Amino acid sequence: MGELDGRVACITGGTRGIGRAIAEGFLAEGAKVVINGRTPSKGEATLADMNAGDNAHFIAGDVTQQSVCESLVDQTVEHFGRLDIMVNNAGGGGDPAMLADMTDDAWNFVMNWNLNHPFWCTRRALKYMIPQQSGRIINVSSMYGKMAIPGVPHYITTKHGLNGMTKAVAVEVGEMGITCNALCPGGIVTDVMEEQGPGAAAAIGMEFEEFLDMMAAPTAIKRLNEVEDVSLVATLLASDAGAGITGSLISIDGGTSPY
Amino acid sequence: MGKLDGKVAVITASTRSIGRAIAEKYVAEGAKVVISSRSADKGATALEEMGAGDNAHFIACDATQQGDVEGLIDATVDHYGTVDIAVLNAGGIMNAAPIAEMTDENWDHALSINLNHTFWGMRRALQHMQPKQSGRIIAISSVEGKLSKPTIGHYSSNKHAINGLVKVAAHENGTQGITVNAILPGLVLTDMFHETGPATVEAMQLEGGLDALASMFSAGSAIKRPNTVEEVAAVALMLARDEAKNITGCLFPCDGGTMPY
Repeated sequence: MGELDGRVACITGGTRGIGRAIAEGFLAEGAKVVINGRTPSKGEATLADMNAGDNAHFIAGDVTQQSVCESLVDQTVEHFGRLDIMVNNAGGGGDPAMLADMTDDAWNFVMNWNLNHPFWCTRRALKYMIPQQSGRIINVSSMYGKMAIPGVPHYITTKHGLNGMTKAVAVEVGEMGITCNALCPGGIVTDVMEEQGPGAAAAIGMEFEEFLDMMAAPTAIKRLNEVEDVSLVATLLASDAGAGITGSLISIDGGTSPY
Repeated sequence: MGKLDGKVAVITASTRSIGRAIAEKYVAEGAKVVISSRSADKGATALEEMGAGDNAHFIACDATQQGDVEGLIDATVDHYGTVDIAVLNAGGIMNAAPIAEMTDENWDHALSINLNHTFWGMRRALQHMQPKQSGRIIAISSVEGKLSKPTIGHYSSNKHAINGLVKVAAHENGTQGITVNAILPGLVLTDMFHETGPATVEAMQLEGGLDALASMFSAGSAIKRPNTVEEVAAVALMLARDEAKNITGCLFPCDGGTMPY
């Protein structure tokens, strides 16, 4: 008997990194999972790896677009018959720049990727969760939703915004059997980190390894976090016992954040 | 295969309420657990109800007494050979009064049962865990470790302090395979709430008795109800697992959305 037997989850950016780890954690507890990504071949490869048969399904799409987000949620319900858990996980650092040099395009792209996609997906998910008076919204935020470094002000702003949206949604749906929480991981070496980290490092005059060391240094554990750390907490939040946790911004950062 | 197979845990104030729910959760996941309280009778009853055979053991402990708390940790190691998880759970709101009227005695009592018990238990547990470079320490703190309400200045300051202690201990032991975290529950309707609640109602001059007190505490939540012992126990299970090795220095919320940060 899994903690999530019979539950249906939809995870944006679920073919790799944190999203994939969350998907695997949910599957291990009996859930059915839709994973989303931009690239069909990556999606198919992930499904093959996960080996979850009919319990996992891939839906392609770029969640920086509103229609994709809304359709993703609707298609999840079409495919598995319901939606219990919405994980707004896709997101990343974008093109780094100091705010004074930030272009509109770079700013707006990250707004869509990190903040608007969770809004569009959450709004659509609530259309299903409110009538059923049950659900879980899990926003994958960041420790940079609580603190700042130079060079990625769009990332930091959107993660702070996502934390605020988390609290706002939580108080609106608190008596409807629906919880909304944000996970705030510290540095993790995911594909997105490997793709965008070097640019973010360079924006503050660092090599990529130095940048990773910078994130590990203030932790208590003196190393980076891992995708499984986030998955562990996500599974707790999604479970029945997670009904008592909402509006929370949960630090999974090896003790970096002071609150 | 349980999530805590082979682990040994010790939990202060665990014959009932939150501590008991954590003990039962741990036993169900394959751990051996030492439960404790001041009363041997309550201990015997709890063991019988738990029906865990040799996987549960009771040791009497008055959490206001340094010798008892340190002795409890040592006796756990004597009995089960080691200690992997220490849950510092004893504590509560007793003798509520505005600060201007609080007696030295009531202040000192709160300090002992809330903050000092946590320090004594944590220190002793660390001394057993450091040589084996592994362990889990979980302090049961409270939303009142971040918020404020009248007449509970002693409890609130103790819980704020426990949060600080947890963060420091996490950083001191972070590279030694030991995690130190706090759980911050919202109101839970425990036996303690029913026992000391009436006095708190009076000190706060609330109309409507215990129900009013419960409403006041849970009104600040998004879920508009108290948390449950099972909800706290689920968090305590997650933090105790091997898989939680990178979660430390965390003030983990279990408060239905009461705290703003």
